[in-house]
Amino acid sequence: MTVLAPAPHRKRRTAPRARWAAGRVLIYAALAFWAFVCLFPIYWTVTTSFKSAVDVTQGHLIPWVDFQPDWKGFRSLGLSPDTILQTSTARAEFTSRFTNSVLASVGASLLALVLGSLAAYGLSRFRYKFAWMRNDDILFFFMSQLILPPVVLALPFLVLYKALALLDTTFGLILLYTLTVLPIVIWIMRDQFNSIPIELDEAAFVDGLSVWGAFLRIILPLAVPGMAAAFILSLVLCWNEYFFAALLTSTDAKTLPVMVASQTGSQGINWWSMAALSTAAIAPLVLVGIFLERYIVSGLTTGAGK
Amino acid sequence: MNQQEHDQHSLTRPNRRTVLKGAASAAALGTTGALGAFSNIALAQGNLRAQILQIPGIGKGAPTDADWQKVGELCLGPTKANVKEGEFKGVELSFMGLNNQNLHNLLFRGFLKPWEAYTGAKISWIDLAQADYNPRLQQAIATGTVDFDILEMGAPFEGDVCGKGLASEMPDWVKKQVDIDDYVDYLKPPVGTWNGKTYRITIDGDCHNFNYRTDVFSDATLAKAWKDAGNASEWGVPKTWQQVQAVTKFLKGKKIKGKDVYGYLDAPKPWGGFGFYFLGSRATAYAKHPDDKAWLFDVDTMKPRINNPAWVRAIQDVVDALPSEPADQLNADPNTTGFQQFLAGIGSMIPWWGDIGQVAKASDTSVIGDVVGFDILPGSDDVYNAKTGKWDKLASGPNHAPNCAYLGWGIYVMARVNGDEKKHKAAWSAAAHVGGKDLSLWTVMYPSGFQVHRTSHSNIDEWVAAGYDRKYITSYLNSQFSSYNHPNRAVEPRIPGIFQYYSIAEDELTKIFAGKVDAQTGANNIAAAWEKLTDQIGREKQIGLYKASLGV
Amino acid sequence: MQDSSPVAAGRQDNVASKRTTPTHRTFGRGFLILASLVLVAVLLAQILHATGTIDTGFADWRPVLYAYLFWSIALGVEQVMVRGQRGLRALFLLPAVLFTLAVVIFPTLFGFYIASLDWNLSSLEGPHFNGLNNLIALFQDDYYWNALGNMVFYTVSVLGEYVIAFGLALLLNAEIRGRKFFRVVFLLPMMLSPVAVSWMIGKSLLEYRFGPVATLARDLGWDNPAFFAHPWIARFSIDAMDAWVWIPFVMIILLAGLQAMPKEVLEAAKVDGANGWQSFRHVTFPIMLPVSITVLIIRIIFKLKLADIVINVTAGGPGGATDTVSSFIYRVYRDRSNVGYGTGLAIFYLLLIVVFLMVLLRLSSRWAQKVA
Repeated sequence: MTVLAPAPHRKRRTAPRARWAAGRVLIYAALAFWAFVCLFPIYWTVTTSFKSAVDVTQGHLIPWVDFQPDWKGFRSLGLSPDTILQTSTARAEFTSRFTNSVLASVGASLLALVLGSLAAYGLSRFRYKFAWMRNDDILFFFMSQLILPPVVLALPFLVLYKALALLDTTFGLILLYTLTVLPIVIWIMRDQFNSIPIELDEAAFVDGLSVWGAFLRIILPLAVPGMAAAFILSLVLCWNEYFFAALLTSTDAKTLPVMVASQTGSQGINWWSMAALSTAAIAPLVLVGIFLERYIVSGLTTGAGK
Repeated sequence: MNQQEHDQHSLTRPNRRTVLKGAASAAALGTTGALGAFSNIALAQGNLRAQILQIPGIGKGAPTDADWQKVGELCLGPTKANVKEGEFKGVELSFMGLNNQNLHNLLFRGFLKPWEAYTGAKISWIDLAQADYNPRLQQAIATGTVDFDILEMGAPFEGDVCGKGLASEMPDWVKKQVDIDDYVDYLKPPVGTWNGKTYRITIDGDCHNFNYRTDVFSDATLAKAWKDAGNASEWGVPKTWQQVQAVTKFLKGKKIKGKDVYGYLDAPKPWGGFGFYFLGSRATAYAKHPDDKAWLFDVDTMKPRINNPAWVRAIQDVVDALPSEPADQLNADPNTTGFQQFLAGIGSMIPWWGDIGQVAKASDTSVIGDVVGFDILPGSDDVYNAKTGKWDKLASGPNHAPNCAYLGWGIYVMARVNGDEKKHKAAWSAAAHVGGKDLSLWTVMYPSGFQVHRTSHSNIDEWVAAGYDRKYITSYLNSQFSSYNHPNRAVEPRIPGIFQYYSIAEDELTKIFAGKVDAQTGANNIAAAWEKLTDQIGREKQIGLYKASLGV
Repeated sequence: MQDSSPVAAGRQDNVASKRTTPTHRTFGRGFLILASLVLVAVLLAQILHATGTIDTGFADWRPVLYAYLFWSIALGVEQVMVRGQRGLRALFLLPAVLFTLAVVIFPTLFGFYIASLDWNLSSLEGPHFNGLNNLIALFQDDYYWNALGNMVFYTVSVLGEYVIAFGLALLLNAEIRGRKFFRVVFLLPMMLSPVAVSWMIGKSLLEYRFGPVATLARDLGWDNPAFFAHPWIARFSIDAMDAWVWIPFVMIILLAGLQAMPKEVLEAAKVDGANGWQSFRHVTFPIMLPVSITVLIIRIIFKLKLADIVINVTAGGPGGATDTVSSFIYRVYRDRSNVGYGTGLAIFYLLLIVVFLMVLLRLSSRWAQKVA
């Protein structure tokens, strides 16, 4: 360990403020720039839902300055102030699909979180051996579920779900979505558990807790940041899943992404409807993100092991 | 073009109460069979058609749910003649169709709500996006998961559905209710039939027409520049593809009213198979000889003609024209050329289905409503004779061969209702209501996704009375009906897997258009791939089906 | 990989051996055997019923599903009863494994079967066995190899995303004001659905004539900002859109990892006189290595499945420049209903990726040991 010499110490008293300030400016500039990059397309989507055809094709940017906002986009969905009290097929479609999307996404994410956290804890703490497969192989098995492009599972799943009478059911979708996000949950949670020192487990055993007791009461609360991250990611992936939703649902379990894709067709593109739908589709995710954001903030895993 | 004489009795605009009273009483008289009521029925029908066309009125904004339901309610007459009130109580039907920009199925829901209320049946809906439609249908058929009773389908897929016995044959009462003889010639059998049985209620007619900008071709500055460039002919709308090419090259770099102007717009990017039609529109004038029924494959062997000199010339035309088109044209699919470019004011000539004409005035996506004109597809000074292998110059002048592409949407009923008599009648009644004669007039006038398909749609006075500009609608309807009834029209082959041929061709064509391979080699590659596909599907059967689809 | 330390394990085993008695063990095993018999019986009955051999049976295969559930529970019980403490440990992993196996086993086997067929859904003759012909056709397929070449480019670009995401994660981890705001905002791109991204960004924002980005490009001097007309520009544009969507994903995982990092190590480094870059290179980065590898592997897997944006924006063009294997398989499978060949393409791709990932994992774990 080097001992600080007094001279550099003196030098630092005058320079650091300026350097610190310059660093701060750079940091905030970078943050602002990236925030702009993130927000602009979303701003564009939201404003497009208030545009009419001419405004869209001319690329007008700022409402009230470049163009007059109009409820057109939301009217086509039956969600504008003037249509909200009338019957609207489009709105009925939207609400039923929205509900189904919520059920399928939340259901699948929760199920994946439960199954995945358990498996991840096991893979993190214990050495398994099944036939020739050790922990790494088991992990690889889970990961390989992610790799196959969904399109080739289309026919097999159609046949399977027909046999199990799971076609057009939200439950069927939940099972499928859980399968697709489970590997991600396992990997994220495994890393999370790996970062929690084993001493905590041992301390719990000393206190007389069983393996499951230690897991549920001591370790799990510390893994909340990872769980929040895994939950948000699973939710987003399930919410926007398009392919299997288009294939396996008909009337009861249909979800939102297909309706968004339907806004283009043989008579052009209804930019305003698509933008309105996209805005409505992203809104709940944003709310979930805002709500869960503070759980990703840790502060709980620092200074562990006392 | 057929001009149906139509009696417009009313000089005063009838209000809804009198019309409904008239319609109700006429229907009542009709069911009792009183002979003297027939002229009343005619009067009521005429008024009915004028009545529904005012909902909500051309240029008065896009129709809403309530409008669809009103129209459906008013057109319930033919159903009421065949079905008792509440007759289908307890029957549940499922309807699979498109949701294209909140049209198609959403319209049908509106139309069928009054039908459901009257008959007591209940309909559940399966909406698909256009891109998912074909795969879903194919996979449902292959795995036996056909879970719908009524289907909205395009004619090209009849081979896959009717050929496998999955559709229910149309009963005679339905043929009468929808007035099946009213369909235009090219939509009559063999279209909609399979092995002599009729399966299809036509709700849409499809062909490519030629859309152009009247202001560009009447511009004095451009006319002068054209003459100055040494052209002997007058500046005007091209009538042959040779002229289209010349005009496109000429217009590169020119301006009209300060804005860049372009000529013909090609659609080089794949669009799920539909993009191939746009090459087809360029090629039929070269490849469809008046003495030959076939233009895509040889009749007796299914040998592809895609690499014969006619098609290669069309492909080469595209390659030659692309440098004169907008810089990002390589990434333009037909959706882009039609709606993002042409209707937004870019480009002065494109082929498209009748949607452009339907939408240019009645919908809000367009900014060129007042300066667009219509014609049948351009012809060609010479046409390729596949039998002799030579280019012929016809004595009658340039060869025209309108491309009747896709043939249009229809309603089919699935065979799975055949076991249950009540369900069978209910399904056909619903289909017949949606395919009704008067209802169809409304759908072709308003944004619905459907174009003119009946002879009774060609009455220009009705269109003008609804609010269309006479000159505009005459030009539009002329282009449509002249294509439908043209003696040398090129009609879409309804063989199984036709879209697979198109999809394979699209892939190879992008390579040609991007300059990675020359036209002839690329076309040979397409031909080889098509041969493989024909063998995979079953060559002998394909030959038989191709012949049947051509009416040979 | 962590395991219970020998001392703790020993203590637990003592506890465990006290718990499993012979009665427990026999009960556990008996229960499992019973459940297995039930499962086999139901399965056999349904198979016989489906093939028409016997009349009695169920309308669908749901009972098999329930029997499997019952069997899974029995297995769990048996593990705990027979192996005691070790059974309790196995119980953590069992639910996930059994679930995955159940959902995946039939489709995978059926998929392999389809891959061996020549099956065009429009074919009037139905599927027929094709042996290795699909494989031979695959090797001669220009489009497939072109797409594989493109995937190399797309995969390499993941490193760029990683760098940006790590930078963002570091920024968010620092002492800044408005942290909550920035965190939420940076998460937003991931939430937009691929369809919306393709249309709103690819076709609207990047639109040649009036899209804001094109207008900006013209202001910066690029006269003809055609983002998708030239092969390499098209590749970068597609990649940029995909990166925009997925950088939040990488960032959030890295951020969770940074949050979990013990602060004392950094404090110690600062006390030692390390500046920002040095403490990053020698402290933060090595500690974050396992998480980085995890996130890179997952990101690469998702990148290799890229299809939606390509299909909607360029359809693989211009001239196949942006085509991905997944979007090509989409075309073969959906537009051409050539399901046998399409499944074959996908399975070959799966094997390629598996090999690639195994190599990657081995290299990275070796490198991680060197650095750590």
